[in-house]
Parts: sequence; structure tokens; C-alpha cells
Amino acid sequence: MDSASVADVARPAIRWRTLSRSLRGGLKGGEYAWAVAFVVPYVAVFLAFVAYPVVYGLWMGSEASLYRELFADPIYQSTVVNTVLYLALGVNVKMFLALLLSGFFMRPGWWMKALLLIFVLPWAVPQISTFISIHWMLNGEWGFLNNVLYTLFHVEGPHWLNDRWMALGAVIVSHIWKWTPFWTLILLAGRMAIPLEIRDTAKVDGATGVRGFVYITVPLLANLYLICTLLSTIFLLGDFNAVNFVSGGGPANTTHVLATLGIRNAFEIAQPRLGVAAVMSALPLVIPLVIVLMRKLRTAEVQL
Amino acid sequence: MSTITAEARLAARAVSRAHSSVRLRRYLNTAGTLVLSLVLIVWTIAPIYNMVLISLEPEGDVFTDHIWPRVPSVESFWGVLTQGHWYLEHFWRQFANSLYIGAMVTFFALLFGSLTSFAIGRMRLRHGWLVSNAALLTYVIPASFLAIPFYRIMQNYGLGNNPWSVISALVAFATPYAIFVFQEYGRSIPIEVDESARIDGASPPQIYLRIYLPLMAPALVAVGTYALLLAWNEYLYQFLLLSSKSSMTVPVALAQFLSSDQSPWNYMMATAIIYALPPVAIYYAFRRRMTAGLTVGGVKG
Amino acid sequence: MAYLSRRSVLRGSVALGASRVLAFPHVAKAAATTASMWFAQGFVQDEDVSLRKAVADYEKASGNKIELSIIPFAPERQKIISAITSGVVPDIIDSNPTEILQIYAWQDRWIDVSDVVETQKAQFSETALQAAQAYNNVTKKSSFYGVPLRAAVVPCHIWRPLVEKAGFKIEDIPKTWDAYFDFFKKVQDNLRKQGERKVYGLGFQVTANGVDPYNLFMAFLIAHGGQDVVTKDGKLHLDDPKVKRAAIKAAAYLGGAYRDGYVPPSAINWNDADDNNAFHAKLMVMDVDGTLSTEVAVKEKHPEWYFKDMVTHGIGYPNDNAGKPVPSIVGFTNGLIPKGAKNVTVAKEFLKYFIQPKVVGEFVELGLGRWLPVMPSLAKSPFWQDPKDPHLRGYVQQGLLGPTIPDYYVYNLAMAEVRSQHVWSMPMIEVAREGIKPEVAVEKAFKRIEEIFAKYKKA
Repeated sequence: MDSASVADVARPAIRWRTLSRSLRGGLKGGEYAWAVAFVVPYVAVFLAFVAYPVVYGLWMGSEASLYRELFADPIYQSTVVNTVLYLALGVNVKMFLALLLSGFFMRPGWWMKALLLIFVLPWAVPQISTFISIHWMLNGEWGFLNNVLYTLFHVEGPHWLNDRWMALGAVIVSHIWKWTPFWTLILLAGRMAIPLEIRDTAKVDGATGVRGFVYITVPLLANLYLICTLLSTIFLLGDFNAVNFVSGGGPANTTHVLATLGIRNAFEIAQPRLGVAAVMSALPLVIPLVIVLMRKLRTAEVQL
Repeated sequence: MSTITAEARLAARAVSRAHSSVRLRRYLNTAGTLVLSLVLIVWTIAPIYNMVLISLEPEGDVFTDHIWPRVPSVESFWGVLTQGHWYLEHFWRQFANSLYIGAMVTFFALLFGSLTSFAIGRMRLRHGWLVSNAALLTYVIPASFLAIPFYRIMQNYGLGNNPWSVISALVAFATPYAIFVFQEYGRSIPIEVDESARIDGASPPQIYLRIYLPLMAPALVAVGTYALLLAWNEYLYQFLLLSSKSSMTVPVALAQFLSSDQSPWNYMMATAIIYALPPVAIYYAFRRRMTAGLTVGGVKG
Repeated sequence: MAYLSRRSVLRGSVALGASRVLAFPHVAKAAATTASMWFAQGFVQDEDVSLRKAVADYEKASGNKIELSIIPFAPERQKIISAITSGVVPDIIDSNPTEILQIYAWQDRWIDVSDVVETQKAQFSETALQAAQAYNNVTKKSSFYGVPLRAAVVPCHIWRPLVEKAGFKIEDIPKTWDAYFDFFKKVQDNLRKQGERKVYGLGFQVTANGVDPYNLFMAFLIAHGGQDVVTKDGKLHLDDPKVKRAAIKAAAYLGGAYRDGYVPPSAINWNDADDNNAFHAKLMVMDVDGTLSTEVAVKEKHPEWYFKDMVTHGIGYPNDNAGKPVPSIVGFTNGLIPKGAKNVTVAKEFLKYFIQPKVVGEFVELGLGRWLPVMPSLAKSPFWQDPKDPHLRGYVQQGLLGPTIPDYYVYNLAMAEVRSQHVWSMPMIEVAREGIKPEVAVEKAFKRIEEIFAKYKKA
């Protein structure tokens, strides 16, 4: 048996082994089965409760005439404006505040820890409770805010939710109130993950305060910040509760966002497909965001 | 001799000036911190104070303009706890429903999330990145968009008016985040640990149970708290998928106050406060492990 | 959502005591089965109690079981829409909102219930019978798709103490439309002079939420001569100068009252509950609101309010400016059987039982009279004619015995979409807040209404 024929015989066998290994990623038989078994539950959940509804929803929203009707609705245009403002202000102001506050909370001391405890309350308390409270606080006649203004400063506060822009502002502020603590914690964790040596070296080199922030912290946190911003944008696009409970979409349907408009179309005017269309019209914005996000997350993997 | 003293005096004065400027900066620092702290406290507490204020008002007084409870009364809390008001007659059942859903969502999100990230991240299942990316796609479509298809599908699965419909939906939404965090956190655990266990003859379930989970404990707590708060916070799906008074959860019951002819705000706020107690308690109990879970090797840029 | 369970048929005598159970001639001789029913939760507990009683009585009489889900009012609407869209429906639902009868009849989603209505046809009021019919665009004809159960009308509600504090008496209130509402402006002026900062004369629901603004605007439209906005044949008459004039007058008055400060500023954001809360808190002297829920809600806790301080003008509802009576729109809650229901037999049987005059009469009476009966004979009962009750006689007079018309979506269901999109609210709100001229605002609304009506051309 010369080497050539051995190689000839062995080649198909080798090829089969490399092929199967490439499929299984280096896992041997039994382990591969386990790996698959571990993944199956989530995949099943995903298919049954995400993929299927998405496909069904896409089917529901697939008629072109729906969109014609949607765009003809006078409320739709103001809704889009509201959604864009809500996203732009809500996400960016919140993330920026979170960034600054995460630096603030890095300070040592029991006072900081206690403050952080209090500061996280808005995130821990369920939004139905707090948003209803905010809605009532802003009531023009009996709301807490106007009572305070009158009692302490003898100023008659306006009817906060009567004007489109004030109501929208109230919704944005409520959202910021609720979610800044959460993102502050995330960014705080990110800051803590900056190796101690870098922070110490920076201090020794005199890069503290604003300079430290700009030259050390920001570059190191940049990727995390961007990921958080993207995630937050996507979450906010689907946010229903803030508008629903704080302003109710009012006055006169002028503070709707796409998520609440979708529900209003589906249930209040009994046209579910129009509701689906309303939310689908946001997809052209969402999909690029998600692609960028996924790419960012991948590079994060590679970096490490 | 005098020149030395003069120089020394100048130097001393310079040092003391430097000290005082440092002291000034420290004062400003403390003052600034204090002001900022005060602002944060007022900002954070205001809506919560309002909740408490209204809940302590006796019924007729809700529509008044004082900012301090004049005649504090706990009748509204009593009403909620004893199911006294007729809108609250199923309160404890609904509270139990909320607890049940929260617990199940947490359990399954953790279970599925950790299993999946173990298989993808530790066992390096080939094409595992497909699963984690697909998971992220869950967040592309806003949850409120899926609400109507969800109702239909739950009927098809025979889960109408069943808490498991809500649990499935929320698990589907929480697990991708869990997978993401577990992947990140898992990077800080060297793969050699798994390898050595495998060489010692451990099977994947054993590695998962004995090595992976214990090491991931902080991340589990962090994600578990997140999942629980997600379920507790959620409104839309519970509202759409649970229709009877005995299967509803507290947020749905609370919202029904809003569409009644006579919203008793003090009862509403009392209900809201009682509903808020569990997540706050759990957060405060686990907060240290939570931040640990997010910090150590966790969410890096 | 319905499932079948077999039980042996119970025959024999019904339980004595608490219930006035009636002999039931329609009981099927087949094996007993279960039907599922959804009904909106009442605004006071007594309404639910009376419904449960009717259901329990039926179960005893027939041996069948009704799975009753009483669902809060607003969530129930959404559940109904979801159910009908998905095709998984209960056997009986109430028409919440009322116009789903017409909307889904168009799409052929209801079971024809002419046979049920037939059993009591002579008893029903003319308006009730009209409102229970709808046009089916699939079969191309009208038929009975609903079984009238109860009705509601929109009286005026007034706080006597506030009127008296302003130096007037209830009897001073004028009887013609514009003068009637102007009176309350004077009340507010007087109260303001006395230092009452937080009281407003008119509680107009100048908002785009809920059903109240539509009821309000329609009341004004009809009073000013716009009754023929949609005629019985379903035709829209926006080009009728009378209708246009009436709409402009309505928008001008309602929006103008807000602009001039006679309406609480927060009204612009009110939902169906807020205006009642505001009324109870005495934020306004009067409002125009459907049913007696405002009064019935406080009957238990504040009987002095119910019996003395609150006045409803059902009797006393103002005439138009020429002194002629103004017809009131009556809304009806119908029992409906969706297509796809699993137990149509029991559903029909239950509805036949339910509309027996004694049963359906007791149903509204036990609900404290918040809802009206649908049979004129029932209005003569001692409950409704009780001289000691200040509200019920007027309510039943306005809603049952006096001139009434069904809502316009009965004639043409496009009006239902106009209502749910709050198109009529916009002229009020635009005049109120932005000072837009009523003619311009009404013109805009008319255009939108025509667009919506165009969608529902009978094929």
C-alpha cells in the first residue's frame, strides 16, 4: 500500500469528519445533542411567540390601501412629529443625564450610596402607579404641582395637559424621570469596569474633572453609550404607557405617538389593520437602527 | 536671618493660600453636591410623594388644594386590604396573579436565557450567533405592535384569558436581554474552567449546573430582577390578554378605575402603592448583587 | 371561549324566596348546555347584581348554564374588537360601544335575531325597534341583529345649591334652548362676584375623548334644527343649509362658552370619568351627560345629594328657541350573537327569556334606574313613577315617553366611524382653543365626514 492510495482511501473519511465538525463547531456527538437541547427551548419560544406574531402582523399590515388611509388621517402627521420629538429628546436628554449622573455617583461615601438608593426608586416603582400619579399631579385644578406653586409661590400654574406641547413635554419628562436611573446604573457599571490603573494613571497625570471626562471616560464609554442609546431608541419607539397614562393622547388626540395611535386605531375606531399599519410605518426608521446596533454588538465581541 | 524668615513667611503664606483655595474648592464641591442631591431627591420623590399624599386623603378631600395631608386617613389602604370598595373586590386574587406571572417570567427568562447563552457562549455551538442575533430581532418590532396578532395567536394556542399567554409574551421579550447580559458576563469566566471540567468527565448539564450557574450568580440576580420588574411594570399585554376579574392583574384592575364614572383617587393611589411594594423590596434586597452582576466583566464597551 | 359540558336537565319547580322566577315556555327539551356571555361592568354595583340575578334566574328556569364575564366597560370594548377580529367569540355580547351592532352587521358578523325580537315585538318602543336593525352589506338587506335590552338618554344635571347661592331658583331657569344655557353663565358670574374662583357655569365636554362630546354636540345640533343631518334612508345632508346653520351655531356656542371662560379649562382633556368626577366635586353648576350615572353613583354615600341637591332635567329639558320640544337621541344596549358562536340555541333562548317585560324591567330597576327600559309599558311602573324620586320620572319621560329618535348610525353606519373618530369634537375644540371661526371649523369637519361616508356606499 503506497501512501497515495492510503491518502485516497482516507480522504473521503477525512472530508466527512471535517464537514461534520464544521457543522457542529468542534463539539462531539453527545455534547452537540446537549447544546442543541439547551438552545431548543428559547428557539421554540422565539418561533411561537415572536416569529409567528411578526409574520401574522406583517400580513395584517400588508395592504397598500391601509397606508393611504393612514396618511390621510389628520392625526397621523402630528403623531409622527410627536414620535420623532419623543425619541430625539427622550433618548438623548436621558442618556446624557445618565452619563453625567453616573460620574456623580462614582464619588465615595455613604451619602452617595444612600442617594443612589433613593434615585433608583422611579425605576423600581411600576409605571402604572407613577404615571397615573404624574397625570394627577399635573391636573390644572387639583394637581399637586399647581398646589405647590400656589402655596409656596402664589403662582397660578397653567393647565399642564391642556396644551399639546406642554402635554408632550410632560410625557417626555415622565419618561426621563422613569428611565434615567436605569441607564445611570448601566453607565455606572461601565465606568466601574474601566480598569483601576487607567483611572489612577489619569488622576496622576492631572486628567481629572472635565479633562478627565473628555479624554478618558468618554472614549472608553463611547461604545457602551452608543449601544445604550440605540437600545433605548428602539424601546422608546414601542413605548405605550407614558403617553397613555400621562396625557392619554390628549388634548384632542394631539399627543399620540405611533404606538398609542396603533392601539387607538385598532380598538377605539375598531380598525385593527389600520392600527398595525400605524406601527409598521415606523419600520423604515427602526430597521436601520437595529442593523447598526447589531453591528455594534458584534464589534464589541471582537474587541474583547 | 531676617531674609530667611521673610522668605519662610512668604512661603508659608503661599502655602496657606493654596490650602485655602483647596478648601474653597472643597466647600464648593460639597455645596454643589448638596444642591445636586437636593434637586435629585425632590425630582425623584415628587410623584411618589403625590401618590402617598392622595392615598392618605379621606374620600371627599381628594379634590382640594393642600400639599400636606390635613387629616391623614388610612381608610383607603384599609379599603384595599380588606377589598372594601367594590372595584377592589378581587384585589388579593389579582395581586396573586401579578406575583405568579412575575415569578414565572423571571424563572423562565433566567432558565432559557442561561441555557441558551451556555450553549452558544460556552459550548460554542456553531451558528449560535444566529440565535443571539435573531433574539435581538425581538426588539425590532415594538411590543405594542405585536399586541393584536398576539391575541389571535393565543386563542389559537388555547390560551385565551390564561396567565400563561402573558407569561409567554413576557418571556419572549425578556430572554434576549438575558442572553445578551449572560454572554457579556460569561466572557469574564475563562473557558478553561469548562474545559478542565470536561476533561474530568463532566457532562454538559453537570458543567451547566455545577460550574456555570454558580459563577454566573450575580448576573442571574441582575437579570432576574430586571425580568421581574419588566413583568411587574407591564400593562398592555396583561390588559389585552386577561379579561375576567379573577384572571386580571393589578395594573389592569387599576386602569379600570380610570374609566369608571367616579374615580376614587385615594383608593387608586393606595392600590398603586401596595402594588409598588414588592418590586421595590426586591430591588433593595438584591441591589448589591445586581450592580455586581452588571459590573464585573459585565457590560463593557 | 365556550366549551360544552353535559348536565342532566333539571325540570320542576323553581326556587322560592329571593327571586321572582317565572315559568319559562321556551326551554329546550334537549340536554342542558353552556353558553358564554360577556357584559360590560356597570358603574354602580347594583347594575352587576341585577344582571347576575337575571342570569341566575334563567339558569334555574332552564337548566342551562351561562358563563357570565362581567368586564370593565372600556376594556370590554377592546376585547370585543379583538374577539371579532380573531374569530374566537363568546355566544352573547352586549353592544359596547352601541354602534358595533351596525358596524359589524355591515360585515355580516352577527346572527340574525329577528325570531328573538319577534317574541316581544309589540312591547318594544318604535325607536328601540329601529335601533335594533342594521344593514348587512353581504346579504344586501336589513334585518334585526340586536335584541334591545336597555336604553340611555342625555339629560341635563344641575346643582341646586350652586344655583341658589347665585341668588336664583331652579324654577327661574328658562325653557328655551339658548336662554337655558345662558342662565348658567349668569350663575357663574354671580358666584364669581362672591369670590368662588373654582366654579364654572357650564360643564361642556369640549374634548375628543369618550362618548360625551358627541352626545353634547348632537343635542345642540338637533336643538338648532339640524335633525336631518342623516335621514332615515341613510342619506347624508350636509349641504342642507339648515343642517349647516345648526352645526355652526352648535360649534359657536359650545366653543364660545369655553373661550369665554364658562367651561372648566381642563374639560379639553376630559374622558368619560373626568366630567362626572368634576361634577361631583362641584367644579361646574351643570352638565349635559348621558344616563343618571351622576346621581346614582352618589345615592348611597350622599343621599342628600341624590334627593335634594342634584336636579336632572329630563322633564324640564329645554325646548328649542322657538319653543318646540326637542327630540332626544336614545342609545340602546342590544344583546348580540356573533357569528362563530358555539351555542346559538342557548344564546337565543336566553335572550328570549331576558326580554320578557318582567325580567328586563326588573333588570333596569334593580340597577337603580341608571338605564332606561325599552318598553313603554314598563315606564308606568311604580318604580319609575315614584313621586318621591326626583330623577326617574323625568328620565323616563325624556328617554321613552317623549319624542325620541335613534342615533344616526342606525340610519347610516358611517356616522359610527365619525363618532369614534371624534370628528364632531374638532369644531368645538378649534373654536374653543384656537379661536377659529365656527364656519371654517365646521367646513373642515364636514369635509372629513363626507370622506368617511364615502367609504360606506351601499354596493
